[in-house]
Amino acid sequence: MIRIENLSKDLGEFFLQDVSLKIKDGEYFVILGPTGAGKTILLETIAGIYHPDKGRIFLNGHDITNIPPRERNIGMVYQDYTLFPFLTVEENIGFGLKLRRISKEEIKHKVDELTNLMSVSHLLHRYPGTLSGGEQQKVAIARAIITRPSVLLLDEPLSAMDLRTQDFLREELRRIHHIQKLTSVHVTHNQTEAIVLADRIAVMMNGEIVQVGTPHDIFSKPLNEDIATFVGVENILDGEIRRNSDGIAVIDLGDIELDAISDYREGEVKIFVRPEDILISKKMQESSARNSIRGKIIKMTNFGAVIRLQLDNGLIASVTKLSAEDLGLGIGKEIYASFKATSVHVVKKTEGNEI
Amino acid sequence: MNNPTGEGASKIKIGTILFSLLLAVFILVQLICVVTHTTLPALITSILSEEIQFAIKLSLTTAVISTILCIAISIPAAYALARYNFFGKSLVNTILDVPLALPPLVAGVGLLIFGMTSFGRGLAEIGLDFVFTPLGIIIAQFFVNVPFMFRILRGTFQSINPRYEHVAKTLGCTEAQAFWHVTLPMSKNGLLSGSVITWSRGIGEFGAALMVAGATRMQTETLPIALYLNMSCGELDLAIAAATILIIISLVSLFAFERYGGFARVF
Repeated sequence: MIRIENLSKDLGEFFLQDVSLKIKDGEYFVILGPTGAGKTILLETIAGIYHPDKGRIFLNGHDITNIPPRERNIGMVYQDYTLFPFLTVEENIGFGLKLRRISKEEIKHKVDELTNLMSVSHLLHRYPGTLSGGEQQKVAIARAIITRPSVLLLDEPLSAMDLRTQDFLREELRRIHHIQKLTSVHVTHNQTEAIVLADRIAVMMNGEIVQVGTPHDIFSKPLNEDIATFVGVENILDGEIRRNSDGIAVIDLGDIELDAISDYREGEVKIFVRPEDILISKKMQESSARNSIRGKIIKMTNFGAVIRLQLDNGLIASVTKLSAEDLGLGIGKEIYASFKATSVHVVKKTEGNEI
Repeated sequence: MNNPTGEGASKIKIGTILFSLLLAVFILVQLICVVTHTTLPALITSILSEEIQFAIKLSLTTAVISTILCIAISIPAAYALARYNFFGKSLVNTILDVPLALPPLVAGVGLLIFGMTSFGRGLAEIGLDFVFTPLGIIIAQFFVNVPFMFRILRGTFQSINPRYEHVAKTLGCTEAQAFWHVTLPMSKNGLLSGSVITWSRGIGEFGAALMVAGATRMQTETLPIALYLNMSCGELDLAIAAATILIIISLVSLFAFERYGGFARVF
């Protein structure tokens, strides 16, 4: 388990500010944030590359703040692989074991075992420069985990690859994590990676952790407008709570009223609805605790698998290509946009939304 | 051949190529003049003469030692300036470039005067006497050539992402081990090309060595000094022999530098 307490580090361009986190044993923990949020420094400070200006880091209960990286037993994988170009794949993977003065036979045995598991055993005698990006990253992961570290740190491990390789390696990461149960901290700006891999996610912005939760918490219940925008909540609307009965709040958005699950009884609020939570239909959907709003399509953008609709009432929805064809959607068509009261996330409209 | 704008461009092409050919011929003619000035048997006799043999040995030894010194001092200095920020860094960088711009004769005078100071005399008393001795040749070569080694290594270290060292440390390296096991092997090409250029410039070093070590026959007589001494007293065959060897060494070094100098740049 990693416990980070009030960690601060200023490197000028990038910085960490009062970061506190708890990462559980065996957890796959994703730190999600835009470029420049300070994610890499956080990993490098956990690894011991930088000494924090303030704060402490505990690993399995031991304070490791002042321990050099080599004694921390933490594995590190970077976006750009950083395989040693003058060593073969086999020597790269065995590098950490060799430093621990383990016998040649044992190193060979362990390298064989791990490379079989990761299906890179056919690459052992090649040099990194001759490998594809995906292969290099697998080797880098093997090099990091062969010493059985207490924690594996992954810094944007899939970002330098084409989409197909990303998909493939993401599945590999999941599979390896499932087998090895290694506590992993994975930093990324990519939401798909976070959704697919994470047990829990921390959102990082401007050097601070702004929200920690399950993927569902982060993507459907962002704590403030900045997080909502970053995680792709495209419907961010201002409203005011009219009344609240039994936890269902009625929110006035100006022209329309919405039902939402919320404990707030009054006041100005922001509401968040993800575009994929909106169902588009030709007829009104009759249901309690479901909002159904009439609108006219004013813009359609084709993203291949999904089509993004912009409605004249300000809502943005996404539908699959197939259902767009079935419904005969087109610019100027009148349709109903429906979504459950549970799909509406309500936050108080104040500046105090941060945790 | 690629001539999108027609005849005008083609004239420019012919004209510029002509210039490059003229330049190449000019250089080649000088080399041929030197090498063909005497007959081959005379050249061989001269090369085998005691004086030229002495000069070859002295040049090779001093250049090897001064190159090793350049490597030993430049590795830590270049690493510091490539990796760390510290107060006065840009000033240090500028000062380290000065010997590049300084005429070697001036450097030699500086070293000579330094050797005359009480500090220099103190060094002489403990055995480090470099005024008018072979040690002076080594110091002169070091002073004039260390910026080349330093600049090549600084560029090499700068081109190596510090993340390689970070990873090495997480895998169990101390800072020194990370440098030794990772950064240094990755600097192999820079080290090789730096050594070649420093060594070959050391072989050819004349001005600074002349000032500090003097031109004493069979004592501080390196190949350039042998060329100079024999030229001034009309021993043309010996002078040509020294010049021929210098040409061969330059060509071989140039070839080696081109071969390994892929990443390294002097300026």
